[in-house]
Amino acid sequence: MKKILKFFDRHLAYLMITPAIILILLFSVLPILESMKYAFFDFQLNDQKKSGIYLHSNYNMPLSNETFEYIDYYLQIEASTVQKSDTSNYIAQIRENMKQHQQAIKSLLNNQVGIVKADKSDIDAIKDINTNVHDLLNALYAKDDVFYSEEDMLAVASELDTCIINSNYIGFNNFKQILKDPRVIYTLSITLIFTAISVFCELVLGLILALIMNKAMTGRGLIRTVSLIPWAIPTSVAALMWAYLYNGSSGIIAQVFSSMGIINQATDLMLTARGALSAIIAADVWKTTPYMALLLLAGLQVIPNSLYESSSLDGANKLKQFRHITLPLLKPSILVALLFRTLDAFRVFDLIYVLTGGGPGGTTESISIYAYKVMFAQTRFGYGSAMVLIMALAVGIISYAYIKFLDVKLVGE
Amino acid sequence: MVNKKAEKLFVTAIVLYLLIIIFPFIWVGLTSLKPESEIWGSEALKIFSNNSTVEHYQELFRGNILNALKNSFIISSITTIYVTLVASCCAYAIARLKFVGKNILLAIILATSMFPQMIVVGPIYNVFVKLGWTNSYFITLPYSMITLPVAIFILVTHFAKVPKEMEESAKVDGASAIRTFIKIILPLALPGIFTAAIITFIGAWNEFLLSLTLNSNSAFHTAPVAISFLRGQFTIFWGQVTAATVIVTIPTLIIVILFQKQIISGLTSGAVKE
Amino acid sequence: MKKFLAMVLVVMMLFTVACQGKQETPANTDPTPTEAAATPVEKVTIKFAVQADSTDALNQIVAAFNNKSEKYKVEAVVMTNDSGNMHDQLMNSLASKSGEYDVISMDVVWAGEFASAGYLEPLDTLIKDNNWLPTDFNAGSMASGKYKGKNYVLPYFSDLGFLYYRKDIVSADDAKKLEAGEYTWDDLLKMAEAYMGKNGTKYGHVYQSKQYEGLTCNLNEFTANWSNIKGGLETMKKFVASKATPEDILTYTEGETHNAFLNGETVFARNWPYMNGMAASGEYSVKAEQLGYAPLPNGGTVGGWILGMNANSANKEGANEFLAFISGPEGQKINATVGSYMPGFNALLQDKDVLAANALLTNPGFQKALTMTIARPVVPNYSEVSDTIQIKGHEYLSNNGKIDDAAKAISDKLQ
Repeated sequence: MKKILKFFDRHLAYLMITPAIILILLFSVLPILESMKYAFFDFQLNDQKKSGIYLHSNYNMPLSNETFEYIDYYLQIEASTVQKSDTSNYIAQIRENMKQHQQAIKSLLNNQVGIVKADKSDIDAIKDINTNVHDLLNALYAKDDVFYSEEDMLAVASELDTCIINSNYIGFNNFKQILKDPRVIYTLSITLIFTAISVFCELVLGLILALIMNKAMTGRGLIRTVSLIPWAIPTSVAALMWAYLYNGSSGIIAQVFSSMGIINQATDLMLTARGALSAIIAADVWKTTPYMALLLLAGLQVIPNSLYESSSLDGANKLKQFRHITLPLLKPSILVALLFRTLDAFRVFDLIYVLTGGGPGGTTESISIYAYKVMFAQTRFGYGSAMVLIMALAVGIISYAYIKFLDVKLVGE
Repeated sequence: MVNKKAEKLFVTAIVLYLLIIIFPFIWVGLTSLKPESEIWGSEALKIFSNNSTVEHYQELFRGNILNALKNSFIISSITTIYVTLVASCCAYAIARLKFVGKNILLAIILATSMFPQMIVVGPIYNVFVKLGWTNSYFITLPYSMITLPVAIFILVTHFAKVPKEMEESAKVDGASAIRTFIKIILPLALPGIFTAAIITFIGAWNEFLLSLTLNSNSAFHTAPVAISFLRGQFTIFWGQVTAATVIVTIPTLIIVILFQKQIISGLTSGAVKE
Repeated sequence: MKKFLAMVLVVMMLFTVACQGKQETPANTDPTPTEAAATPVEKVTIKFAVQADSTDALNQIVAAFNNKSEKYKVEAVVMTNDSGNMHDQLMNSLASKSGEYDVISMDVVWAGEFASAGYLEPLDTLIKDNNWLPTDFNAGSMASGKYKGKNYVLPYFSDLGFLYYRKDIVSADDAKKLEAGEYTWDDLLKMAEAYMGKNGTKYGHVYQSKQYEGLTCNLNEFTANWSNIKGGLETMKKFVASKATPEDILTYTEGETHNAFLNGETVFARNWPYMNGMAASGEYSVKAEQLGYAPLPNGGTVGGWILGMNANSANKEGANEFLAFISGPEGQKINATVGSYMPGFNALLQDKDVLAANALLTNPGFQKALTMTIARPVVPNYSEVSDTIQIKGHEYLSNNGKIDDAAKAISDKLQ
């Protein structure tokens, strides 16, 4: 028993961090690496030539087989509508040719199935076969006869070229493209503005709130409870709620603001770029100040009372105490609060997505909304992943600046 | 005299602040009692409707909301418990013990928080489908991505503040490191632990994207997902959405209040204040 | 190694469950209690990903199929009605090559993307095996799912945008012009300005122009299917500037539109057929008998939902059987009679029961609108195209951008 305990004691640090490392590795690091791999590929799902990670050239065998089936299907339809026996003989002949071509491709790739790796000589040979197929079909439609599905046939046959998959590794091209994309620059600056203003307001208000909540006074419980309401409402729901309150015709807040003269008319709130961004920031400050306050409050609570007592004996006033005792001792908590609020604010998504959808005219679009649109709506995962990487880099620089600027050692010694 | 005036000003400011904070919620509560046709248009700005109704609440209770609340509670509780445990251990090691690669570990934890959740959803979904874990409470595991880093960082700052002398005196008494951690350190850091727990709980409670993607079966919907279902193809059922906002918020508040009491009692019993 | 990690995970999971056990019954943490209990042994389950149906039609279709089929049983997996979320959810599932869903319902604008990605199974064989022709189905729906010469979809229900007007306000002469479709956007604006204020109305005309997919639909109509982009944008701007539209018309979606129209605040409204059903419910101040219907000046945008088969489905035969049922005469008849949806199987447009259940189908103004439909572009990168249209259009309309920039950006993207 003692031996076991000793073993535990000696390796305690590693034992204690193991569960966290496993969790972070499995559910954060590995998935992130998996997605980040895409950043170096022209990976987009809405194109079968690019809907995978291909380091080599490949051939899409299922699509090839399907395409030959369709060519045969349309040839049969044409055979039933053509008028001249010459044409129907020709169709019968090229149906045979097509079968040979399909067989040729299959044996070229050793009858493998699925997405098959193909080297350059194979690809060249297949390209020749494709040209042959297109020529046969073009010759058919050059004949003077009645055809029923020329357009469909040519569209289907063009899929044979889609079957040839080239490597879509593109190195840093996505990043080069991003740096030239004006929308990235714009959304990044909107995100920065949003983050700077909202985090600053939240820090100041949160600090005041934490100081109040830490004071012994009547009604403290009420203040704490009420303060936490906004934070307890799920973001996706809070955003809907604000959309209703900001609404130009039925929203109480838009009406109150316009009657107070803060905005010219109720509809300006959501329809001017400045109004919409301010509205978003206000909603975010409303929602997350309690979170900030709670983090700071926890820090305030462990500042020993004795420090304040001795300093008031020395004749220091409240302001001096705040500057010389509270702030320095609160630094680690402020750093943590600032860091995580900034990280969250930089990734703002739900709130803007529901409130404005990026409008009016894309003026409130944040970088994560743009990245989300690129990845999930437009399925350009390569480009989107590269954008996310740049975004993480930007927020990483900010975090580094915080740590340097506040000069806090989180880890003792 | 000046003090009294200042006090009055202070109290007014507090009251005003409380009103601003609570107003949107109150307004949403009032709206949830209006019939659907009065939520928009000229009637929308009235405080009380002449035709007040609880039909939105009745409609909600007939639907999936109670089941979703139950799921949210289970999922958030499991997440809170295991994340707080794992984070406490990890944070203590970082704050007090020596090991190789401490800074790298901190950097990795922070770095994972810099990536938006949307990029992990796809890979995690693939793994979950392969393991047959979709539509289950296994979803609490990937919730660690959003909750674990912040919990660890909060706790590191708290453990670092526990006076070293207490630990050393325990060591002199011959207590093992584990014993010291459980008997001495944990109770002292209790306020921080509860803060981390609340933040984890609400983080899990508010999560939407993972829950929507991994648990598509309505039997496993969480509250935010269930609320997002309160819409038709072209319409949002505002009456039900506002009612659901009230229903979802009140139980969370109760939990938060309970946690708060723990923070305070943890404080009074602690020896941190010397 | 992987197995070891999985084991560790399971142990941790059990551990947390045990901690949890004091408050929650352990049974709650059983990962799949419903599935295990509900699967009968003999029938294979076909999973159908579909949005919630506010009518009983979906339930009845599923019940009728399950009654009829000997080998298969359909389970409707109800997805969110937020189309954007549903798209992304499907995308995740399809991209992982999972067979989680066998049959999927899609918004008409997704089909091009899903088909070109290779996620859908072509349905020409299915159509042929049932002795149908693609032309037996709603042309708009089929066109939206035809990609590279293959048919990938069958209709679920079709939809189109058209003009609603207040019969009790608009004069008989004007109503005739409207119903025949012999008017221009400028005529509509003039009428809206002339009639607004009558019978307690506040506005003349409302439509959708928030920055979202609805703006693309409306711009499609204003620009006559993108044939006159600059002119269409300018006309739309005239509407925004006019007193006859609400000041916040640029935040209007379908919801704001039907609220304004059904609460008697506007004379005209551009919307989809569903608003007729809401009026018929009698819950709003504007009643069904006050409604008139007309085509839009350049035709209305085709919308609605279509059905496809997951290319990675493990039950293609069953998916085939269900698709043929739901898009064929049996399923479409239930949809049209129980749910009042527009049938996607053309022969049903002459069916007595269908016509009796759906008054719109016999209305001359609506019938005219049915003949004047315009589609949105069928391209693999549709959402990218639509995104540009929405942002550039909204930027110009909200005075944040110039007309030439907007028109150029949109026409470049459409090339």
